[in-house]
Amino acid sequence: MSLRTPAAIALALFFVAGGAAASEDRAIALAVEEAGFAPSEIEAPSGARVRLEVTNRTAAAIEFESFELNRERVIQPGQTAAVYVSGLGPGRYEFFDDFHQQRRGALLVR
Amino acid sequence: MFETLLIVWRESLEAALIVGVLLTYLGRSGQRSGVAYVWAGTLLAVVAALACGVASNDAASHLDADLQELLQAGILFLAVAVLTWMILWMHRNAGGLGGDLRRKADAALARGRLIGLATIAFVAVFREGLETVLFLWGVLVQRTDLTVLPFIGAGLAGAALAVVTAWLFFRGFQFLSLRRFFRVTGVLLLLVAAGLLMSAVNKLIGLGYLSPVAAQVWNTAWLVRDDSPVGAFLGALVGYRSRPSLAEVLAFAAYVPLMLWALHRADAAGAPVERASARTAA
Repeated sequence: MSLRTPAAIALALFFVAGGAAASEDRAIALAVEEAGFAPSEIEAPSGARVRLEVTNRTAAAIEFESFELNRERVIQPGQTAAVYVSGLGPGRYEFFDDFHQQRRGALLVR
Repeated sequence: MFETLLIVWRESLEAALIVGVLLTYLGRSGQRSGVAYVWAGTLLAVVAALACGVASNDAASHLDADLQELLQAGILFLAVAVLTWMILWMHRNAGGLGGDLRRKADAALARGRLIGLATIAFVAVFREGLETVLFLWGVLVQRTDLTVLPFIGAGLAGAALAVVTAWLFFRGFQFLSLRRFFRVTGVLLLLVAAGLLMSAVNKLIGLGYLSPVAAQVWNTAWLVRDDSPVGAFLGALVGYRSRPSLAEVLAFAAYVPLMLWALHRADAAGAPVERASARTAA
């Protein structure tokens, strides 16, 4: 018990400090339209901290989801959600709308 | 339509499994007073999810998307805390319940524990229920004529299928001896709690409040894909993800051994009492 609390606090501070280091934030706007993601491909430099600003421009709820990015967010019509991804190595990371799976896109990390 | 069924199956599975493990545990341990509370939490959650789902389509009542997500993370942490407490008292209870019928008959649960049971059922069902309602509502607004009916039917079938999946899974549990049953449900609940904790950490990372430390520790997609039936089942039960971040893995690695240690300590502390009561019963 006595050991648990300080360890938890230290761990929490470590994570929060990492999360707050926003010096290299890069915002990318991504819209979800009836036809699909716009744009359907986006790019980011390797290792950067990226804030995807996902806006649902359709009439129904969507779920932004990516197994490669380990993210999922339900977004209601007209709303914009910030989805952070960081420390990614070069590669192609696919994402899709889980509620309408024909809508697909990818983040290219170089 | 099949896609609708699959999506609702996946969304409802986690709720069905968590409610299932609670009901199975209560039934087997003869603590029937808790069953009504689990159902009450479940029903309340279904009503709340329907109400919130429908209300949130009224643009004026929109809560900021990121605030909603933060709220969800908070609810998950609360669920982990309540579940942790429940696992500990269930474990302490289990020792005294081994086939002692006289004690079993009046195994009444304290009020706080009953509310704990209802809370866990509520959180599990509300979380997944809200997503299901939002999804089905979307299906509804896209089709205004009768063609919507098969989709709603597929949605309901998906939810029913999730309940059947959970029921089949827990049916297997009745073949376990009581002693093994308590062990298995204990470990299962522990993994469920760890899964919820990882999910809460994942949300905070996605919101930018936490660092993932390392974006991807490993990739087990070659073994179990997230979107395969097994991946969906494991995801719903114990929060399986093929590409977890280091922060999530660390949360799991901190929580599980700590809990095992706490359970072990409860064993050590409870053992003499159990032996004494067993002697009295004999």
